[in-house]
Amino acid sequence: MTIDSTELKNKVFKSIKSLLKDQSINISDDTALLGHGSLLDSMRLVELCLMLEDIASDHHFEFDWTSDVAMSRSRSMFRTAGTLSATFIEQGQKKP
Amino acid sequence: MIIVTGASRGLGKAICERLIAKGTQVLGLSRSCSPSAYPIVGCDVTSYENIKAIAADLRKKGVVVEALINAAGIASMNLAVTTPPDVARKIIETNLLGTIFSCQSFSPIMMRKKSGCIINFSTIAVALGLKGEAIYVASKAGVEGFSRAFAREMADFGIRVNCIAPGPIDTDLLKGVTKQQIHKITEQQIFQKQFEPDAICDLVEMLLDSKSQSITGQVIHVGGV
Repeated sequence: MTIDSTELKNKVFKSIKSLLKDQSINISDDTALLGHGSLLDSMRLVELCLMLEDIASDHHFEFDWTSDVAMSRSRSMFRTAGTLSATFIEQGQKKP
Repeated sequence: MIIVTGASRGLGKAICERLIAKGTQVLGLSRSCSPSAYPIVGCDVTSYENIKAIAADLRKKGVVVEALINAAGIASMNLAVTTPPDVARKIIETNLLGTIFSCQSFSPIMMRKKSGCIINFSTIAVALGLKGEAIYVASKAGVEGFSRAFAREMADFGIRVNCIAPGPIDTDLLKGVTKQQIHKITEQQIFQKQFEPDAICDLVEMLLDSKSQSITGQVIHVGGV
């Protein structure tokens, strides 16, 4: 089964949006998730990871969110919605 | 289902047997899978990959985990200066990292349900600063600190995290410890006596009960200090 990158990206963005109090905010590649100006606090970020873990399961791959760089401001997959969806898709494409 | 590490002997085994007797579904994790009245899965708590794989399997199967009891632990009574480095490393890895890895891997299953209970194990030796147990104490002091901070991290997800700190309970862990040594420790407790594994099982049941819904981030010393 091949991974539909657009579908996964949409699901990542939809998951992020579902955790926001202000539903008028549109999620884009540049939407910050970590550090200054981020939309999610640390607990919402964990909730997002749990949601993505479930989505990954539906697509038959494991989402690994406990990497060394997960919370690094410079290299983290959580820097922006774009970097997160890119890593998520990459992990999906690497599935055995 | 309740997950219990260190389930094949000592306090872990006693806790599993108590829970089974009460009709609770238990999954034991242990390095050795000896025949028992409850299912035991082979698991080395010092292996993050090992624990994570078991947690992933439970999640895929849709198993509801109500509680996690981290009873796996080892001890080596020795002065710190005469403890070989590989023994020191093994104690820290099993007692502290094993508890951390287990919490990291299984708590997300409970976080999804926004409820759960985690019970970690420390020792009265931390509060008493017992001579000859410095490395063991260091590992368990780490467990206490981790539990208090982790309780705050888990609070938003409705998960309670507590620590039980027993005195010298009559299990395999006390092999080679003389009655005089045990007495020397118990006489420093408020209740100056050696408690049986049943006392620990009672505490576990109490912490699992919904009547303990307000108790989190606590270290409970068996016998009092």
